Amino acid sequence: MDGFLEMFSYSFIWRAIFVGVLISACAALLGVNLVLRRYSMIGDGLSHVAFGAAAVAMALGAAPLGVSIPVVLAAAFLMLRLGRNTGGLQGDAAIALVSVSAVAIGVMFLSMSSGMNTDVYSYLFGSVLMLDNHDVLLCIVMSAVILICYLLLWNRMFAVTFDETFTKASGLNVDLYQMVLAAMTAIVVVLGMRMMGALLISGLLLIPVLSAMRLCRNFRAVTFAAVCFSVLGYVLGFLLACAFALPVGAVVAGVQVCVFLLLSLVVQS
Amino acid sequence: MCELLTEAVSYGFMQRALIVGVLMSLCAGVLGVHLVLKRFSMIGDGLSHVGFAALALASVLHFSPLAVSLPLVIAAAFFILWAQGHSEIQGDAMVGVLSIGALAFGMILIALTTGVNADVNSYLFGSILSMNKTDVVLSVTLCAGVFILYILFYQRVFAVTFDETFAQATGTPTGYYQAVLSLMTAVTIVVGMRVVGALLISGLIIFPALSAMRLCRRYRSVVIVAAVLSPVCCVIGLLLSFFCSAPAGAGIILVQLAAYLLTVFISILRGRSA
Repeated sequence: MDGFLEMFSYSFIWRAIFVGVLISACAALLGVNLVLRRYSMIGDGLSHVAFGAAAVAMALGAAPLGVSIPVVLAAAFLMLRLGRNTGGLQGDAAIALVSVSAVAIGVMFLSMSSGMNTDVYSYLFGSVLMLDNHDVLLCIVMSAVILICYLLLWNRMFAVTFDETFTKASGLNVDLYQMVLAAMTAIVVVLGMRMMGALLISGLLLIPVLSAMRLCRNFRAVTFAAVCFSVLGYVLGFLLACAFALPVGAVVAGVQVCVFLLLSLVVQS
Repeated sequence: MCELLTEAVSYGFMQRALIVGVLMSLCAGVLGVHLVLKRFSMIGDGLSHVGFAALALASVLHFSPLAVSLPLVIAAAFFILWAQGHSEIQGDAMVGVLSIGALAFGMILIALTTGVNADVNSYLFGSILSMNKTDVVLSVTLCAGVFILYILFYQRVFAVTFDETFAQATGTPTGYYQAVLSLMTAVTIVVGMRVVGALLISGLIIFPALSAMRLCRRYRSVVIVAAVLSPVCCVIGLLLSFFCSAPAGAGIILVQLAAYLLTVFISILRGRSA
């Protein structure tokens, strides 16, 4: 117990909690939109791209965040664009295409330079130790932007989420909102990857929203509940992970999945 | 060139890799057409994450990897199929929950026991070059089984892929064939994880199908092109990664990607909508 309490005297623990809460709140907000528009797998796809980009950056000795953010942004646009283009690909095929290619390229670059090392694993599985003050600042700015966008554009977000065709007909620039949403998702994925790991970040986007949809029926309630589940799940998972010396990302995702399963069993809808 | 080729093929591990790779990519290619058309492109990703957890479990319990992962991945595939019809949650969200849950479980297991080691690396990125004789026999048997089932059920698979409701109305037991397809997909993915790893297996499923769909318009020709393209890319990828001493899984996927980009280019030249 003493060892557990002692952990909280370290600043990196507080940094991880703070950043984690912000990111999980943002992820839940964006997740509502993604799940309802049947883009659940985009988080998974983008996180694979983020891993690929980070791997290339490591191989070339560049700053991982500096490379990942633009590459993931580009991938998000590409997925949406390829997916919408009715001539060729469907949405899910487009996501799989971009994400698999990115991982393959990343692995190739790594094998030519350093090979698999601890850094690579910490990108795959996450590590709270990787956060520095720079990340914290970036997270605060991003979270603020996402929260403000959501509050200011609430009605439009709602419209774009539920009836794209109607919204387009009523004269709103739907494509622009889609792009903004994709961009925000991309940034949350890159920031979250450092902490949760590339493989598990999509859980933050997806599972709290599904849990919330079990409980609530209207858009506002679902959004609110998703943010609560996400943040509480993160804090609980983080504390458990610290107490038992387990990887944070895996425990947080495990907690979220357990909450979802419990709700599915309890709430028979 | 010729000497290099004979040299590559003279190694036992390359022969084994080529045999398993060709058969596995053949199965992945033909099944991929069905999965892409049914909008199941991400199922490979989801099932491979379950496979990752199963491999972690097997290494903890000291069981043989295939003995644990095969039943678990088949169960997961059936579960996803069942959830499609019986749950309010959409199919893709269900795949997401399953894959995240399995990954988290697998990682916690690994962290509690061995820690990240070379085994974990091989689950994620494949280890086709380290297959032994038993692995090869098992993989070849499984793939051959899948391919024979596919040939036998070709007409039914076609019907189920394109118009499930109509197939059902004409008396085809669609649920049964869907289950057979899920079984085949699960087996292919378990074998394929060994070849290219959990992170890249969905590439083996989607790339040949997407490339073939760029070139052809009819179902049969798409299946045939995918069935030819997929093993060819696999062989080229394996040989190239041998010569450049690069990882085999990533090499195969990059060759598949190059083939896809080539077909995109061809279809643009032909003046089709790109």
